[in-house]
Amino acid sequence: MGKKLKTKAAPEQRAGTILAAAALAVLYVFLFLLDNALPTNSFTVMLIPVLQKGAIFALVCVSMNLLNGFTGLFSLGQAGFMLIGAYSYAIFSIPAEQHNAVYQYFEGGIIKFSIPQILGNALGVNLGNIVGAIICIIIGGIVAGIFAALIGIPVLRLKSDYLAIATLGFAEILRAFFQWDGLGKLTNGSNLLRKYTNFHDIKIQLGGFIYQLDTVFPFLIATISIGIIVLLVNSSYGRAFKSIRDDEIAAEAMGINLFKHKMMSFVISSFFAGVGGALLAMFQTTVQAAPFRTSMTYEILLMVVIGGIGSITGSVIAAFLYIASSEWWLRFLDSGQFMDMSVPFFRDGFRKVVFSVIIMVIVLFFSRGIMGDKELSFAGMIRKFKNKKAKKAEAGKEVDPE
Amino acid sequence: MKKLLALLLAGCMAFALCACGTPAEPADDGGEAAATGDTIVIGVFEPLSGDNGAGGKQEVLGMQYANSVCPTVEIDGKTYNVKLEIADNESSNDKAVSAATTLISKNPSIVLGSYGSGVSIAASDTFAAAGVPALGVTCTNPQVTEGNDHYFRLAFLDPFQGTVLANFAKDELSATKVYCIGQLGNDYDQGLLNYFKQAAEAAGIECVVESFPENNSDFNSYLTNAKNAGCDAIFAPTSISYAQLIVEQAAAQGITMPMLAPDTWDSNVILGAAQGKDLAIYVSTFYAEGGDPEFEAGIKEWINADATNLANNGGNDMLAAVTVMGYDAYFTALEAIKNAGSIAAADVMAALPSTTLTGITGPIAFDDIGDAARDSAFIKTANCTNNVWDFVAVQGVQ
Repeated sequence: MGKKLKTKAAPEQRAGTILAAAALAVLYVFLFLLDNALPTNSFTVMLIPVLQKGAIFALVCVSMNLLNGFTGLFSLGQAGFMLIGAYSYAIFSIPAEQHNAVYQYFEGGIIKFSIPQILGNALGVNLGNIVGAIICIIIGGIVAGIFAALIGIPVLRLKSDYLAIATLGFAEILRAFFQWDGLGKLTNGSNLLRKYTNFHDIKIQLGGFIYQLDTVFPFLIATISIGIIVLLVNSSYGRAFKSIRDDEIAAEAMGINLFKHKMMSFVISSFFAGVGGALLAMFQTTVQAAPFRTSMTYEILLMVVIGGIGSITGSVIAAFLYIASSEWWLRFLDSGQFMDMSVPFFRDGFRKVVFSVIIMVIVLFFSRGIMGDKELSFAGMIRKFKNKKAKKAEAGKEVDPE
Repeated sequence: MKKLLALLLAGCMAFALCACGTPAEPADDGGEAAATGDTIVIGVFEPLSGDNGAGGKQEVLGMQYANSVCPTVEIDGKTYNVKLEIADNESSNDKAVSAATTLISKNPSIVLGSYGSGVSIAASDTFAAAGVPALGVTCTNPQVTEGNDHYFRLAFLDPFQGTVLANFAKDELSATKVYCIGQLGNDYDQGLLNYFKQAAEAAGIECVVESFPENNSDFNSYLTNAKNAGCDAIFAPTSISYAQLIVEQAAAQGITMPMLAPDTWDSNVILGAAQGKDLAIYVSTFYAEGGDPEFEAGIKEWINADATNLANNGGNDMLAAVTVMGYDAYFTALEAIKNAGSIAAADVMAALPSTTLTGITGPIAFDDIGDAARDSAFIKTANCTNNVWDFVAVQGVQ
């Protein structure tokens, strides 16, 4: 049975993979043009930050989905791990000469070097920035992963709601910890970290021309990270995660080490949340602990729910839709006018009212989200298309003889 | 069927929500200006929601009033309409970048704002990349204008304000030990605590510094600490929402030692909290009421004429210093545009450093860093019986 299915699916799978690769290539060509060639008008100017932030939140949503959707661990610590990633990234990439200005109350801080700068001296500024940024992003992920491993030991023994409460508390404690003056020389206390390498500094020099990679870079990191998570979910580890989600006792009876797999999922999810946090730091150009509060976790959870718990493509779609609506499409509701007509109740704050109503409707009537636990894939689309054709042909055949 | 009904009900509820929040409102003045002739866009980058929403709204009011007073500007004999484009940065650094980009997409000649330094710093690179000058109105952190050419500022700075208040504590209150309290994680609070402490200790005042966590609503233990430590004044550079709680709980505890606060406390919300209570509250601020009666009469009439404006000002027509600053910011921007003789952002940026003006808050001129030179602040005290701010002194840094 399995064999039969496999042979039948193979051509569609292959065609789907080729199509997906082609679509990705087209996307990257478009992003590259957006960064360099396309004229700046009110549309492209707005498109860039929305795409950047969308890519970042897509990654964070998928990482949360790995934990909540695929392993069945209801954790609410995402903002905390993003905070760690953002701080680790920023601390290691602030240029040495800026330390006195940034750490103005803490005698220039204790870390006096910048990884992108050191690499920049060796490899040239542009390449140094790219490689340095990637290294700092990975450091952000690793530090978040280490914290996750430490907190995971006591916390992962808890189940469902209790785990959620423990991780929520952990994220809050973490925020207070990073704001504490005692750590000021490292974290700058309550003050902003700034002046580090951001998306605008990511450039590449090819044949005498310098090309901007503002939008390409976050997409690249997000695509690679999401790709790794997809591979993981489809591997034997992924199957173990899903079995834990569906029935812990049965999974244990099948010989799956519950704690080991839960820990693995938790640490990997936190690693990618850290990577997402580092990217968010690059996007914001400043880092402060205050915005990484519980409401940020809820925002991410909302995107995951809207996309469908257990669907990676759903999370990605929902993240882009959510960011585009909240940051761009619905802003006209605040402006007091619509298509040059003055509309009395379009005023400050109205955007948020409309936005919450939309979310309420989605959660009430589409409780399984946009995708449920299904995935959107080109192979699937081809199959659907073929099935439709076959059905039509069949219907035609039935009609024809008569 | 059930689903349809529920959907309808949800729709009705949403509509009711909007309807009850919306009094009949005249057309926005920006709306019509856009339709005719050439238009100059001035971006307004302010928090209209979040922690600083109340202050941000009051600041925008000043700009909107200024826009209604002077809705056009003449360049080379050609009259341009001035249109304010407002973007809400939600008092949050992670929303600041996209809010700033929203403004950039409207092609502004200059951007005004923001209330709160953190969001200004976060958006700074976005404005720089677009080559648009920004004029900070009441952001007081030195880092906003430091090390860049495009950010300017009308307000005085935190080091100045901290020193002014420390001097006032020494000279007028003869304080020897001050209890300092601020919010953990808020760069404004912590920055001022730091500068106040430096100045106060240099003046021979002892400081006890404590921080409270975000969303704290019980200040009784902190106030008890202040009493037990034998302090004779409290310095609390907090945002308005916490200030209100501190004032009320201090009154309930019967604390009579004077409270010192920076410009955030200069708000009718604080007066409301202190009304009828036996408290001594001193604030340092940009403007003292009564400084320009003609202007005040005009803006009060304008605020009272519109229910939305009245609501944005906190329900009455008390003038906040940030509103006056917003008004001055608008005219500084117009002056810079006139000096530039062009509506191009780059020309306005080049013209800003040499722009001078006599505003309602005093003479305005920028120094090398891009900060308005201010050598004194107004100190006001809350009159708890009449519910007004009384002018105390003009304090400088000697």
